[in-house]
Amino acid sequence: MAVFSSTEELQDVMSLLWHEIKESPDMANKLIQSKLIVQFRYREPEGLLTIDCSDAETMKIYTGPINIKPMIEMSMKADIAHEFWLGKVNVPMALMMGKIVSRGPTPKALALLPVIKPAYAIYPGVLEGKGKNAQMAG
Amino acid sequence: MTSFTQAFKFQNPTIINFGLDTASGIADLVAELGGSKALVVTDQGLVDHKIVNPAIQSLEESGCKPVVFSDVPPDSDLQCVERAIEYAKREGCDVVIAIGGGSVIDTAKAVNIGLCNEGDLRDFEGINCLTHRLKPMILVPTTAGTGSEVSAVAMIRDKENGKKLLYGSRFLFADIALLDPRLLVSLPPHLTAATGLDAVTHCLESFVSTTANAVSDSLALEAGILLFANLPRATSCGDDLEARSSTLLASCMAGLAFTNAGVGVVHALAHTIGGKYGTHHGLTNAVLLPFGLRLNMSTTEKLYARFWRHLAGSGVSRDMPYTSLVYDPSLNDEQAALALVVAVEELLKLCGLPRSLRELGIPELTDEVVMELAEVAMTDPAIMFNPGEVTVENLVDILREAF
Ligand SMILES: NC(=O)c1ccc[n+]([C@@H]2O[C@H](COP(=O)([O-])OP(=O)(O)OC[C@H]3O[C@@H](n4cnc5c(N)ncnc54)[C@H](O)[C@@H]3O)[C@@H](O)[C@H]2O)c1
Ligand SMILES: [Fe+2]
Repeated sequence: MAVFSSTEELQDVMSLLWHEIKESPDMANKLIQSKLIVQFRYREPEGLLTIDCSDAETMKIYTGPINIKPMIEMSMKADIAHEFWLGKVNVPMALMMGKIVSRGPTPKALALLPVIKPAYAIYPGVLEGKGKNAQMAG
Repeated sequence: MTSFTQAFKFQNPTIINFGLDTASGIADLVAELGGSKALVVTDQGLVDHKIVNPAIQSLEESGCKPVVFSDVPPDSDLQCVERAIEYAKREGCDVVIAIGGGSVIDTAKAVNIGLCNEGDLRDFEGINCLTHRLKPMILVPTTAGTGSEVSAVAMIRDKENGKKLLYGSRFLFADIALLDPRLLVSLPPHLTAATGLDAVTHCLESFVSTTANAVSDSLALEAGILLFANLPRATSCGDDLEARSSTLLASCMAGLAFTNAGVGVVHALAHTIGGKYGTHHGLTNAVLLPFGLRLNMSTTEKLYARFWRHLAGSGVSRDMPYTSLVYDPSLNDEQAALALVVAVEELLKLCGLPRSLRELGIPELTDEVVMELAEVAMTDPAIMFNPGEVTVENLVDILREAF
């Protein structure tokens, strides 16, 4: 069974998590310095999340369709995203196994993985705040 | 490899067709793939050396008129790829053949993307984002190093934007890798050694990578033996077909290994240095390999020891003067792992390869440049597969020591 039951629930959780990341200077500053616009495209259920750091000053977080051209697109099942934020996904392995599709300069996005690692500890709390259990997708 | 319980996928849809003079039969392979007009991507040096002749003759005799594009520079760029695409479209080519080293092969792969997808090639940069099969592709390596003939990636320089574009997709696997050792007889000693060390680096980095698995390990180990045993001879006696055959096979096997297990810190630095100074990929790996091995020693001692025991146990030191590969069962893991690093250094010496970045023609490295290189290397995808965590400081140290 999929972890998220609807687009709304998925986007809500992801948006909340990214707002927490935005509030954490250690993570936010380095992400903003990257000046990247990264779009996450989820399926099962469908969902869209865009993180725009292009002005090098603020991190803007959008859910749903938006008229911004991302520099990097990462597409995956929503369950993979859930497992990722639980710290259970080896991203290079997932790319090799075809579970993640990355369009654009992938290395730039991969380089930010260590930066967002502290968010693994935040995610279970975000889920609980939404009445969900981190163990749902094992 | 960490545990047999870890999930993995090993894939290689490419038919490996190996044998002396197999290039003369390439027309049959084109016919098997249903092709009638083949684009042959190569470079001028290979045309001048007549290395492409057996394949061209085979195609001409079969009535499959080859369309030859020989304008590929070392470390190919987007403009070259675009010219080749235009040419192939104009001629109506339905099969893509590459005859050359990694630069030619990567070019052919990118050309194939452009032949089957409309729009700017930059828009297809990424991993897994091609959505459909490309034209049938036959890749014929004339160097023994990159393993590009069995890999699912291509790297192309985008001079305009000063970066390297990375394409990774299962649709970049060739239909056929045609390995004809005779095509390598003319490869000069320094290129034989340099490209060979690319393959050695593929073996050693894939063997300890975070995504290594039992299948990739077996290929890396066996390819390692073939390379340590034969690369010095292939370098000094270019017409030794036994040595050429062994190293060509090993390079292909190492290619299968890294395609499924990834590489590591040595490749991350080599990509970065090559991107900035245009140094040869294999040569840059050669210089950096001992440093990369030492950096990873604390996390991979057991694996290096295993690699050494396999190498030394195969008896390579009977035919080649490696003092560090005389099998000694009393060595503990630490001693065996260190012996592996010394064996790599002995191999570099036997092949007459440089030991410093300075010898590759890199000018003085200022603190600023070292930091810039280290930071760029930290964003190279290869580093993600490195067994131990790597810091910018680690890379700065390697760059300083290797200079
Ligand atoms: N796609 C992959 O999986 C992959 C992996 C590793 C490296 N690469 C790429 O491969 C490139 C390097 O390839 P390479 O090391 O094979 O070198 P290369 O293709 O750049 O060739 C180097 C030189 O060798 C000459 N040459 C090749 N074969 C010859 C022969 N048989 N006789 C005489 N001369 C010959 C060529 O004309 C050229 O001048 C780099 O661009 C690197 O990025 C790709
Ligand atoms: Fe390589």
